[in-house]
Amino acid sequence: MLERFLESKLAAIGHVLEEVAPRTVWHVGPLEITTTVVNTWAVMAIIALVAILLRRQIQERPRGLQTLAEIYYRFIEGLLEQALGHSDRRFVPLVGTFFLMVLALNYSWFIPGVVPPTTDLSTTVALAATDILLVQIFAARAVGLRRYLKRFVEPIPFLLPMNILEELVKVFSLSVRLFGNLFGGDMVVAALFVLVPFLAPTPVMLLEVLFGFIQALIFATLTSVYVATAMGHH
Amino acid sequence: MEFLAVTLAIALPAMVSAFGQAWATSRAVESIARQPEAAGDIRGALLIALAFMEALTLFSFVIAFILSGRV
Repeated sequence: MLERFLESKLAAIGHVLEEVAPRTVWHVGPLEITTTVVNTWAVMAIIALVAILLRRQIQERPRGLQTLAEIYYRFIEGLLEQALGHSDRRFVPLVGTFFLMVLALNYSWFIPGVVPPTTDLSTTVALAATDILLVQIFAARAVGLRRYLKRFVEPIPFLLPMNILEELVKVFSLSVRLFGNLFGGDMVVAALFVLVPFLAPTPVMLLEVLFGFIQALIFATLTSVYVATAMGHH
Repeated sequence: MEFLAVTLAIALPAMVSAFGQAWATSRAVESIARQPEAAGDIRGALLIALAFMEALTLFSFVIAFILSGRV
């Protein structure tokens, strides 16, 4: 009796992956539009809507949501100050956007039925590649193209391939870190739901709330560290 | 045998990186206790270091996952 119960549970765990994996919603020509894309665009729409509404009613004396936005701005400025050693307003939009986006994507499972898009490797690779590309552009604009390119042939020109490879490895490590944490967490929650659906997944889900924030914080911190490196601070 | 390989591919790196993280965290807590005024800097450095250590485990998690598809 018990043996058969355990066997059925084990068989169910085998299907956990299907719950977490993205599904194709509809086709546009050769492209497959998955649930990941739909969820990402929904999160993007929410952020954009809040930002537009907030911008309309900006006042000298902050009130309500504007207070929160100003605290957030200070927080991102502090992150950058830690990495650069001084305050620099030019990079706040870059780091702030990525922190907010990653945090919102990680927390999108608060909406019932939504699997966080960051549990899909496609999302995290896209985020990381955009992040590293933008870091290069922002750094080149800040210190000038000459000084920016000079970093790649230092300390000796022979190391040029190594320096270029380093930037590509950053994309890999950023994306796999975010994906691994979110995907692993989601799998654990899904497996617990299969085994003991009542109350057992709750502590793990609370832990996931914490991890979602920490991963967004690490993404933003590493972005600001990469900005400092690309500007030749180290 | 393949099942053992998949299990070890995630278990061993997790074990070793847990030791590494424990060591880093204990030293960080010690230095915060010694110099509470530097807590902010130490916490920032610790977070980045932990993220790098964590990444190694996650690489092996992904590899274990690819392997498990073949068993």
